[in-house]
Amino acid sequence: MSSKADHIHSHDSLLPSGEVESEHQPIDSISKRTQIVSIPPQPCSHLFQFKSKNGTKPFRALQDCLRIKPLGRASIRRDPQEIIRCNTCGHAPSRLYACVACAAVSCQLHAPSHEVDFPGSGHDIAVDVDRAQLFCCVCLDQIYDKDFDAAVVLAQTAASTIGSIRAPPPENLRKRRRVDYRPWTPDLQERDLIGEKSTKLPSSESDSGLDSPWGLRGLNNLGNTCFMNSILQALLHTPPLRNYFLSDRHNRYFCQQKSNGRRNSGNTNTKNLRLCLACDMDATFSAVFSGERTPYSPARFLYSWWQHAANLASYEQQDAHEFFISMLDGIHEKVEKDKRKPQSQGSGDCCIAHRVFSGILRSDVMCTACGFTSTTYDPCVDISLDLEPNQGGSAKMSSTKSHHSFNGEADQSCGISTLMGCLDRFTRPERLGVDQKFFCQQCQVRQESLKQMSIRKLPLVSCFHIKRFEHSPVRNMSRKVDRYLQFPFSLDMAPYLSSSILRSRFGNRIFSFDGDQSETSNEMSSEFELFAVITHTGKLDAGHYVTYLRLRNQWYKCDDAWITRVNENTVRAAQGYMMFYVQKMLYYKASEKLVAS
Amino acid sequence: MSASNEDNMSSHSQLSTLFFNDLLDSIIVDVASECHRIARLGLDRNLDDEEEELRLSAQARARVADPSNSGEATSKYVVDIFGQTHPPVANEIFECMNCGRAIMAGRFAPHLEKCMGKGRKARKTTRSSTAAQNRYSRGSPVSTHSPYANSTSMNRLSNGSPSVAGDEYSNGTLEEP
Repeated sequence: MSSKADHIHSHDSLLPSGEVESEHQPIDSISKRTQIVSIPPQPCSHLFQFKSKNGTKPFRALQDCLRIKPLGRASIRRDPQEIIRCNTCGHAPSRLYACVACAAVSCQLHAPSHEVDFPGSGHDIAVDVDRAQLFCCVCLDQIYDKDFDAAVVLAQTAASTIGSIRAPPPENLRKRRRVDYRPWTPDLQERDLIGEKSTKLPSSESDSGLDSPWGLRGLNNLGNTCFMNSILQALLHTPPLRNYFLSDRHNRYFCQQKSNGRRNSGNTNTKNLRLCLACDMDATFSAVFSGERTPYSPARFLYSWWQHAANLASYEQQDAHEFFISMLDGIHEKVEKDKRKPQSQGSGDCCIAHRVFSGILRSDVMCTACGFTSTTYDPCVDISLDLEPNQGGSAKMSSTKSHHSFNGEADQSCGISTLMGCLDRFTRPERLGVDQKFFCQQCQVRQESLKQMSIRKLPLVSCFHIKRFEHSPVRNMSRKVDRYLQFPFSLDMAPYLSSSILRSRFGNRIFSFDGDQSETSNEMSSEFELFAVITHTGKLDAGHYVTYLRLRNQWYKCDDAWITRVNENTVRAAQGYMMFYVQKMLYYKASEKLVAS
Repeated sequence: MSASNEDNMSSHSQLSTLFFNDLLDSIIVDVASECHRIARLGLDRNLDDEEEELRLSAQARARVADPSNSGEATSKYVVDIFGQTHPPVANEIFECMNCGRAIMAGRFAPHLEKCMGKGRKARKTTRSSTAAQNRYSRGSPVSTHSPYANSTSMNRLSNGSPSVAGDEYSNGTLEEP
């Protein structure tokens, strides 16, 4: 039908700007990013007319007929027990539509003819009774409306929570304030001070054509300390951390002076210098960014860290991830003791370690009997991911993947484990076992439940830790999982945000969900760029850590004292153990010019 | 079997086929309706970028596995980017901040272990170990984990000896200089 063809074209224009689009909108203009839908797609002319004539009244009438099953499936029934059949043919096939104007029920074959009986009087809009989806009987297509969807979501949330409409937002979730760029140049006095008190760093131009970025310096292995060296290299090039220390935000001289001033004895014996891991980081940054080429020995750092983490202090093989956590803890602890800063880690106000790495995870536990959802928030400094148990493929499809290749996700047909696959698994709804029944406040008994994780607030830097350790309690044996894991250089975290996960749980309705704030609706803030990869080669108890760093879009291998340039293929093919991603808006690809920036 | 039984069975199997088809149709429409909504509201993932990353990764692995390419990851180092070479055991000498003796960098950790009285030989609890214990017991700072496993102490990979690829590093007791 010619009219049908016209209306299909008008549906192509799907932009959140809400502008009235002309027909034949090119595909490129449809943003491919996972979006927060703030404005629904442009309605077809029939829906438009229907709403201008009737407003939202008919949808509110439908609200009373919304029946919500536990876990959210919505249907339309005037009477919960009623049996629905097509008025015309008496059958009840897979799709039945109730006219919004008069509640007459038709199957998909007879729905268009209902409109013909009452042309132009608003009998063209119907609702799929089993799915609570709007349908236009003239366009013969599913249509979307903000008010209808809002009614459905409210009904779904009312069914699954006692009293409150939404889970309270996490404490200490302060919207990250965007600071305006303020240009600065030194005044005359400052210029004099700079000239007097500083020495100019050697310019990289004077090197014999070598294009070495700042901050590349080998770290001596002090005896089984490559676990520490690998983490230090990653941290030395974590943009917000690097900027913090190089901007002198933690000056080790002032910090030590302050503590010396406090102590009664004025004891300046080097042994009793107050322990501050941030000061040692500051010293390491100064050394590594000094322009010195010979490898640096982070001996002082090791000494301080062993004092902080006595149980890990031994000339034994250590785990890099454990060191990472311990180090962040050490920096946090020292700051807590000094200043009366807020101790909550979630907001990242407590110390630089948390400001850079801390995000907030949301955990929902849903009763399968009544749908009641209990929500908790926890801060986290990284995400530890399991490698999928089967040989490749995400667990979601593993049972059906054996002889089929699906068009959907490429990784399944190749059988490769991917980082995004691991994140999919991390955020999927997981059925808790029969022996792990959760006490449901609504049912007042223990019920089988579903648990689902999502990211409420993304950190500035996301660190992913791959659990390559497999422990078999049966055989009391541990082994390392060497299986390759694909990881992208650019990563969009939007599908794992609480807003996306919640939205999908409620059927992707047009509604503003927890976390849908202007901050997260900015496309850029969920996009991350890879800047460091730590790999482990060898066996469980006798292996070696190496860090790959991405500077000015060139990859370098940091193997203790040895810094070498490598091709990006080497990194892509490497066995990742820890991957570090920074928010794209903080990431400077910079130019590939040889001039020092 | 009698003829009427066969008729009953075929009408039974017809009925069950009918029910099955109805259920299948219903499920298919469920999926179609969801996908339609996701596509219309622009909520689908950027599969093009994801596939591109997968392709680059597969390409990279093929190139690295190709024996004709120089093995960047595993070949012995000749010089680093600054044109320097380094011995298998770091030979910078500095002063131990605990006892004041001059120690060689590559042997600093085993020296410090004895010097501080830590490690296998002598484990004492100090004030900072309480903090570490607290960290384990209250699970903070939280390193996240998948739903059930609390893997703080379970999932560890140990590092090993420093190695220039191909060199053996003797891991026996090291004498202090």
